[in-house]
Amino acid sequence: MIQIKDLEKFYKTEEVQTIALNKLSFNVKEGEFVAIMGPSGCGKSTLLNILGLLDDPDGGSFMFNGTEVAGYNERKRSELRKHNIGFVFQSFNLIDELTVFENVELPLIYTGVKPAERKKQVEAVLEKMQIMHRRNHFPQQLSGGQQQRVAVARAVVNKPKLILADEPTGNLDSTNGNEVMDLLIDLNEAGTTIIMVTHSEHDAKYSHRIIRMLDGQKVTENILA
Amino acid sequence: MILNYIKIAFRTLRKNKGYSFLNIFGLAIGITCASLIFLWVEDELSFDSNFPKQDQVYFVSTHQEYEGEWRTFGSTPGPLAEAMKAEIPGVVRASKTRGLDLLFSVGDNVVNRFGRYVDNDFLDIFSLTFIEGNSAEAFKNPESIVITQATAEQLYGEHEKVVGKILKVNSTDNYLISGVIENLPNNVSYPFAWLAPFERYGRDKEFTREYGSFFADTFAELSPDADFEAVDAQVRNLLQEQTGDADSKAFLHSIKDWHLRADFENGEQVGGRIDSVKLFTVIALIILLIACINFMNLSTARSEKRANEVGVRKAMGSGRARLMIQFISEALILAFIATLVSVILLLVLLPQFNLLIEKDLVLGLSKPSHILFLLGIAIICGVFAGLYPAFYLSSFKPVEVLKGLKVTQGSATFIRKGLVVGQFTISIVFIVSTILVYQQIQHVKNRDLGYSKDQLISMKVTGAMIEKFSVIKQDLKNTGAISNVGLSNSNILNGGNNGSNLTWTGGVDTEDILISFRLVNAEFFETTGMELKEGHGFSENRAKDSASVLITESFAKLMGKGSAIGKKVTLDDTYTVVGVVKDFLYGDMYGASDPVLFLNYHDEASFMYLKTNSEIPTNDMLAKVEAVMKTHNPAFPFEYSFLDETFNAKFKSEQLVEKLSQLFALLAILISCLGLFGLAAYTAEQRSKEIGVRKVLGASVSGIVKLLSKDFLKLVGISIVIAIPMAWYAMENWLQNYAYRIEINGWIFVIAGVVAIIIAMVTVSFQAIRAAIANPVDSLKTE
Repeated sequence: MIQIKDLEKFYKTEEVQTIALNKLSFNVKEGEFVAIMGPSGCGKSTLLNILGLLDDPDGGSFMFNGTEVAGYNERKRSELRKHNIGFVFQSFNLIDELTVFENVELPLIYTGVKPAERKKQVEAVLEKMQIMHRRNHFPQQLSGGQQQRVAVARAVVNKPKLILADEPTGNLDSTNGNEVMDLLIDLNEAGTTIIMVTHSEHDAKYSHRIIRMLDGQKVTENILA
Repeated sequence: MILNYIKIAFRTLRKNKGYSFLNIFGLAIGITCASLIFLWVEDELSFDSNFPKQDQVYFVSTHQEYEGEWRTFGSTPGPLAEAMKAEIPGVVRASKTRGLDLLFSVGDNVVNRFGRYVDNDFLDIFSLTFIEGNSAEAFKNPESIVITQATAEQLYGEHEKVVGKILKVNSTDNYLISGVIENLPNNVSYPFAWLAPFERYGRDKEFTREYGSFFADTFAELSPDADFEAVDAQVRNLLQEQTGDADSKAFLHSIKDWHLRADFENGEQVGGRIDSVKLFTVIALIILLIACINFMNLSTARSEKRANEVGVRKAMGSGRARLMIQFISEALILAFIATLVSVILLLVLLPQFNLLIEKDLVLGLSKPSHILFLLGIAIICGVFAGLYPAFYLSSFKPVEVLKGLKVTQGSATFIRKGLVVGQFTISIVFIVSTILVYQQIQHVKNRDLGYSKDQLISMKVTGAMIEKFSVIKQDLKNTGAISNVGLSNSNILNGGNNGSNLTWTGGVDTEDILISFRLVNAEFFETTGMELKEGHGFSENRAKDSASVLITESFAKLMGKGSAIGKKVTLDDTYTVVGVVKDFLYGDMYGASDPVLFLNYHDEASFMYLKTNSEIPTNDMLAKVEAVMKTHNPAFPFEYSFLDETFNAKFKSEQLVEKLSQLFALLAILISCLGLFGLAAYTAEQRSKEIGVRKVLGASVSGIVKLLSKDFLKLVGISIVIAIPMAWYAMENWLQNYAYRIEINGWIFVIAGVVAIIIAMVTVSFQAIRAAIANPVDSLKTE
């Protein structure tokens, strides 16, 4: 599903150039669950942003489902993103002014799903995430675990082929964290490819493969299952 | 989708009540202001539009040349109307008219109404609608009169058939009411409450049949296919042929220009009310702009709060265009709420505004033009105010905002500061303009008029006031409330009869000089406080002065060097100058008045002037005067005016500019301050951690206030620098319109600058002090 080869990303300030990704290469197969680990500043989040088509690489190749997407403009990236990729963030990133239902509904609106169909799909996913009873609450009325469930619900409502999770349990206690990980496992078992950035060895063990990074490069790769 | 935007918009508004209030209230004030001006402009533009023949009706005026300069007059000779109709094929109807006040009495019900003696064609030129009677029959009888419905109701009460009734006029004459016409709206240039056949007025007045006397207002209707240029030239030729005077050029003034384009300079049309209409339209747009700037500033300043949402929406697949539509929709919703608020404000404020500008404007919520205007203004404001924030907010990169990186506001901060500078520049220009307009009006009002307008009552001469003048004068003086009584054939403030057919000792090209005549009594000069510079005044014994005249200083100058006393002036007869009076001002209060010649002849006086005793309270004085007038002129109501008030009324259009510029300056400042207040609050919030750290390290409250206020004051300082040349240029241009004008003084800019700084200081320091006295622990905890 994903082939990246010699991927590069630089950050420049007036005087210093920092290399965030240094000729990074790896592949991810459809249905795989990959964890990416490494110390702060090793380029994990940069990688995730590029994989999520939120950011552009400065060099190298990025093939998504057999198509080179490295040079895509914002419009094309947005188009590809909304149909194929779901995001789960460490800080949930729910929109405070929207209710649970409306937050989850958002990706469906952007892909042009009709209202009646949206309602059906949102309710189904809320049921699945066991937060249906909170559908009319606003994010600030929910616990961290509940907020992350909503975020996961939002990420999967569009049935994306790929879910990118950026430290999904980073802001949660262990009970809530485990629940979110279970949700991700379920999704993966249902066929969704997952790439997760994490600091937690515990969470990484849920994956099929752990890619460890340092200074923008892949250092090791452990296959777990 | 739209529903989603609306939901978000309302929730954002609710969540940020303070900012929402500043935004909505600021925009509502701007929209209210623009709407008030719209209503006023609409009224101005609608003048005379009730008459259907908009492309055919004209007023005949003349440009006349005196001393190399063309002046414009509304009066034309009596025979012109008929001659135009007879000799110029394009003229289908024409009417000479003479406007007068008539006193109508029905039993004890006595009213004074202005109207016109007209030719038959007048009724059809203006397509007047008859409620009773008809235009064909109206003037068959020369003793008839047509009155408006309002006049009929005032005289006879409602629902009374009045055609056929005999109406007593000026307590002596009887007119037969032959028709009742619909009331005219307020916005007509030549209003009237009655119309009567000109024949009756002109019966015993030979001058109405001569080309030598310019006294009539002449109206003409051209055929729909007439060539205007050709007819205009033919009218000009006709008058020149008949008068033999090449220095008098008649021209046709279109009904569409009567109200808005009625100013002429040296024979050229130079504008008029249209200039005020344009000026205030621009001011309305500027005020709206200031209000929209507030919205832009507050939206972009608070962009960090929305950054996360932008990031999430983009990550979820929203394109930039969609986000822009979302933010513009939010601005539109806000603009619509502001418009609703402004409708309420308008309903509350319109009566006060009407009092201020002396109009009767109405907001018609069922009137399509008003609804369209309000909708239009809401849409324009929403899109305009929302465009920049939408453009800016939608440009955020999701990678950065989702990482929680601080949004770099470099360009937005610069633009925001620029907009604040723009707002304050406009406000300062308004402050300077307001001061200068006020100064200019005061300057003219305090001008040495050559007479004293204070303690002077003016009454129109009615009934037996001339015949009984001696006894009236004596009785008035006996009351102790009146010290002197003067008579004149014209209002002292206005130009009276004039002519250029005089010769005098030492005069060169005298036929080229316009001299104004005043027929007065001996006491006129003492009553009005006119100063005798040379010689003596008129004698109480008029027979002694049958060959004497008084002249003004400017006339004396025309007679060459040395004293004018004893020199001769020839009119119909030859008179000797016995006195020279200091020049006095009449007509155009900004210009210089023509030379004046006074004759001791008050039989045709139209105005009686009473010099009042300042020691007697006004009410007592008026009661005493009324008692005397009731005794000697019982058929006529006691009507009077104070000359100083009439004088003030001459500055109506300037005072309108003054009042409106004060109002708009105030509103511009208020809206700017609302914006500044919001920005200051935002800055204080942004810098709360910095303030906390500084306080922990020992900064004083005043030091923090200074720190927070400094940046804003810098912006106001820049505004002052930009505003000064702008205001100077604009006001210098405005003052060019006045011959008698002030010079712009540098200290006005100092005052405006200081006022702007004080206002900005007060606005900002409220927030700055609040931030400075806050407990640093709270702000440090939030990080």
